[in-house]
Amino acid sequence: MENVKTERPEASRGASENAARRARFGEVLKPGKVLLTLIMSGFALLMIVPFVWMIGTSFKTPAEVFQYPVKWIPTTLHWEHHIRVWTGPDGFATYYLNSIKISLISTVGAVFLSSLAAYGFARIKFKGREPLFLLYLSMMMVPPQVLFVPKFIMFDAIGIYNTHWALILPGMFTIFGVFMMRQFFMSVPSEITEAAFIDGAGHFRIFFRLMLPLAKPAIATLAIIDFSWHWNDYENALVFLLDKNLFTVPLGLQNFIMENTVDYNGMMAAATAGIVPMLAVFLVGQRYIIQGVAGSAVKG
Amino acid sequence: MGKSWLKRQSLLGYAFIGPNMLGVLVFFILPAIYSFYLMFTDYRFMNPELHFVGFDNIKRMLGDELFYVSLRNTVVFLLSVPVSILLAFLVAAALNKAVYWKKTLRALYFMPYITSGVAVAFVWMLLFQPSDGPINGLLRAIGVSHPPGWLSTTDTSMLAIDIIWVWFMLGYNMIIYLAALQEIPEELLEAAKIDGAKPWQIMGRIVWPLVSPTTFLLLVTGLIMSIKTFGIIQAITQGGPGNSTTVLSLFIYQNAFRYYEMGYASAISWSLFAIILIFTALQWIGQKRWVHY
Repeated sequence: MENVKTERPEASRGASENAARRARFGEVLKPGKVLLTLIMSGFALLMIVPFVWMIGTSFKTPAEVFQYPVKWIPTTLHWEHHIRVWTGPDGFATYYLNSIKISLISTVGAVFLSSLAAYGFARIKFKGREPLFLLYLSMMMVPPQVLFVPKFIMFDAIGIYNTHWALILPGMFTIFGVFMMRQFFMSVPSEITEAAFIDGAGHFRIFFRLMLPLAKPAIATLAIIDFSWHWNDYENALVFLLDKNLFTVPLGLQNFIMENTVDYNGMMAAATAGIVPMLAVFLVGQRYIIQGVAGSAVKG
Repeated sequence: MGKSWLKRQSLLGYAFIGPNMLGVLVFFILPAIYSFYLMFTDYRFMNPELHFVGFDNIKRMLGDELFYVSLRNTVVFLLSVPVSILLAFLVAAALNKAVYWKKTLRALYFMPYITSGVAVAFVWMLLFQPSDGPINGLLRAIGVSHPPGWLSTTDTSMLAIDIIWVWFMLGYNMIIYLAALQEIPEELLEAAKIDGAKPWQIMGRIVWPLVSPTTFLLLVTGLIMSIKTFGIIQAITQGGPGNSTTVLSLFIYQNAFRYYEMGYASAISWSLFAIILIFTALQWIGQKRWVHY
């Protein structure tokens, strides 16, 4: 760990020093590189066009929606669509509160329970560990479609069908999370924990006092990815929720669109409401997300 | 002492894993077993009578024309996976070394993957609007007099879904490729350059083969991830027009929760599991081959 800690900053410092030196001696812009940058920027803009069009349309008048050439920025900002979406009888305020509640509780539960289990799998040798882990592995292959019907019957029987618990309780268990955190805990050198053991600390103390603080970046990554799953989860909500007042944002959105089939401005205002929180999370946690996604696939 | 220490370790291990295991048992393992049982019954929701029907559901599935339609649609849907991977490789190769603003561009390409759920599907629905939507507006402007009907006609609806899916998956694949490209030793590429290899030769003959394990991994995980998805399709087409976008996973959902044929739906859902099992087996075999590589 100490090696890693001292090596990394030096390596990156070296690289940035090189870059700085090159800049200082006036590296000429390479025409090929500039051209490629322009081309790739063009494609990148294409990638975010749906978002730009969505936000633009949510502020237009109905007549401007399908105007061609596309009016990317409306001449006057029409807030009334947003107001309509947020306030009306099926206002997004309710859907928002539902989504926030479900996503937050599920994410906190999932991060904690997967970290706990991951530590067990990564750091404690016990009987049955390997077969148990294989069982976890195999459950990753079972598609949600297999589980929907029996879960529906079970939830109906115990009375949590059509309640938020039907999303929160299963949402607290993610096999992917266990894998990801296990990967991280296995990468922590054993010298670090050995010293603590010699000082008389037990596994629980090591987990809470040593490993969890060390795992902050991994936890942040898992939390963001998990939160985005819950926030965007449409399929489970579709199966397990019935009452409008319980709807999450994706379901509320669909409901809005079914009831207002030609209100394109309202639709896009509603879609904006659904996407903006994830955009914010993405902009703030971008570094964690990208590192986490890259790391989980390459090492796994 | 040794024995009691081992016992204590086991107890400790289960104390850590226990809470999670309980949830996995209740929400994954038991439902899976229950579903396997339901496959052999005629269970319908709100019908308390449940009979054991043996292989009737499987026979019915194999004789169900819609099952084959959904399989064919699934194959067409899955074609988006290799397309997205190939595009992601090109983007990653370009972003890896040869551009300025690398980090900003990387974030822009990745944005759809993390931010979009059903909400973005509705945006695409309007973009693809056949009579006045912006996509067809553009096509008309560049001289296409009869642009496609996209989501509204049976022969182009899946193509529209594929385009959405390529757009969605591209950023994820790109991030993984970027990580893989960083592992390639710089000297190798320098040596090729000194030997006079052209950039596209380096890409095609050196880089592409070197990242082939990544490509394979992305292909298999992408196929598995995509074959399980039905949310965006249910949201914008409900499988239509005329079953043209009913993929296998949506077919299962509809049988279970639109027609309440839950026994039958369970049977079909295990065929989806079988396909995933095959993909996973392929991955294992492929990984073993590439370990020596």
